[in-house]
Amino acid sequence: MARALDAGASGLLPCRLPLPFETMAGHFPDVLEPVPAAFAARDSRIVRMAFAVLDGIAAAVERAIRRYGKDRVAIVLGTSTGGIFDTEAALEAHASAGALPERWSLEKTHAFHAMLDAVQLRTGARGPAYVLSTACSSSGKVLGSARRILAAGLADAVLTGGIDTLCQMTLRGFKSLEILSSRACRPFSAGRDGLSLGEGGAFLLLEREGEGPARLLGVGETSDAHHMSHPHPEGRGAKAAMIEALRQAGLPAEAVDHVNAHGTGTPANDLVEARAIAEVIGPQVAVASTKGYTGHLLGAAGATEAVLAILAMEQGRIPASLGAAPLDPGITIDVCLMPRQRACRVVLSNSFAFGGSNVSVLLGRAS
Amino acid sequence: MTGVGLWASGYPDTAAWTRGTPDSSVGTPAAELIPAALRRRASTLTRIVAEATQAARAESGVDLGRCAMVLGSAFGEISAMVEMIGSFREDEGMPSPTRFHNSVHNTPVAFASIATGNQGFVTAIAAGDETAAMALCEAVGVSAERGGEVLLVLADETLPPPLGTQRPYASGAVALILSNDSARSSRARLGPPRRGAAPPIPLPAAFAAHPCAGGFALVAALESGRWGPVPLGSREEGWVVDLEPVTSP
Repeated sequence: MARALDAGASGLLPCRLPLPFETMAGHFPDVLEPVPAAFAARDSRIVRMAFAVLDGIAAAVERAIRRYGKDRVAIVLGTSTGGIFDTEAALEAHASAGALPERWSLEKTHAFHAMLDAVQLRTGARGPAYVLSTACSSSGKVLGSARRILAAGLADAVLTGGIDTLCQMTLRGFKSLEILSSRACRPFSAGRDGLSLGEGGAFLLLEREGEGPARLLGVGETSDAHHMSHPHPEGRGAKAAMIEALRQAGLPAEAVDHVNAHGTGTPANDLVEARAIAEVIGPQVAVASTKGYTGHLLGAAGATEAVLAILAMEQGRIPASLGAAPLDPGITIDVCLMPRQRACRVVLSNSFAFGGSNVSVLLGRAS
Repeated sequence: MTGVGLWASGYPDTAAWTRGTPDSSVGTPAAELIPAALRRRASTLTRIVAEATQAARAESGVDLGRCAMVLGSAFGEISAMVEMIGSFREDEGMPSPTRFHNSVHNTPVAFASIATGNQGFVTAIAAGDETAAMALCEAVGVSAERGGEVLLVLADETLPPPLGTQRPYASGAVALILSNDSARSSRARLGPPRRGAAPPIPLPAAFAAHPCAGGFALVAALESGRWGPVPLGSREEGWVVDLEPVTSP
């Protein structure tokens, strides 16, 4: 991922799912291995994907379980549609053959807790465990939940993150809303005409103290109270989320070096978000949307983009906001058209969702 | 706990549910919390969440525009999802845009947020048969972090065909208004959720199998004055919560 960001290489390709229209999408980059035999009853695309991403953090989770005990390690995962990829196939089979496939199960394939139970069994963590699902803000908000679980003493470490798969429901749904581009999405560009979807995710392990690369400084969580799918025209909830994250951290807006924007590439979102960032953080902050690389990962976007924001801090390099040139003249924030070498100490990651759900995650460099 | 609301399919009110006297004339709830223009498009789940919330508000007097909202639901807007996938086989294979954006897990609390002008904290979680316990964990954390009152709603609608045969249960929702201000805890006090054992609380069969059975167990215990640990899930050595009477200072 870091190499792709450096190279400005998009992962968006013509969508491989059968659809009655054309679009580009970010597909999980590796062949998804079947789950181990012990998990055969829980095999699904989302669990395969979760296990593949989990491999990258398994050693840290094992260390946390050894240090704190299995009952003191919690799990909070974000997803928008969970096991729906397999459920769509199961319902299609039911429509044509009159029966659901034997290998499909409501509890072990479809439900949000199917993924949750699989991750619990795989890691051995036995603390509080739940899925948070607020559409596209889900895995930004899990960081707020993890923060609260630690503060309330319900656990000593929290495995958190988000996973979502491509599926017919979201691809057709966004097309139906007339905000799905047929091309690779171009957030903040004058030529933007909608979003591209992607699949994948990220996991993070949170502890009260430790050697990790970043500190979670604040998580602003607000609502627009306006409309199910249209952002508030003045970005009311988006601004309030950024302000709340700064207030929790006790930091002024000037401390923010970089914003990983929600930046979906829809005309309405990008304009409203840019105005909100200019008003709360200031027009000088370096802004990038990474959705031109990955597509919109929906319930997995918040965690993935938090990791990409941490990467910008670690590497001192803000990625180019892929596809942003030529910039929309109505957008007056500093969108990075090229990668920038810049030491970042504090970064902000925004995610906004259906239902007017907003989250702003403020992260600081550990050192 | 400053207010409790319950909507249970087939029962006119909490008292009838507690007595176990169903009424076959009870239909879809009015859901008057939600403005009429929004209500037309509201699912059963969204309506029963609104109805239970309205009842809890009536008891507690809470300003729903200013309290945090936590929804616990194992399967969320599953009927909307099944209907939408079915629509892919019709006409041009495209779903209704409204049906799509109303199919997300947070739809019931998003409607409540829009209806009450609540611009604050709203979330939606799921944890299978431990949904009630985990939603209570989230509510405890939110209350400690933000103070004020928290609306905790535990709700699932009956599974639609062809999924219903896998797990039959009745639509139902429980709403609790929680406050960490002990002076406002007029109804009962809840401890933090903890792992442990608790004697089972008998529930009507259609609610014993409900994914949020722990929420219904809590209401049954409260209504019958059965203080002590209440089981919040179905697992042995699972999550329990201590229910205590309010005592005068």
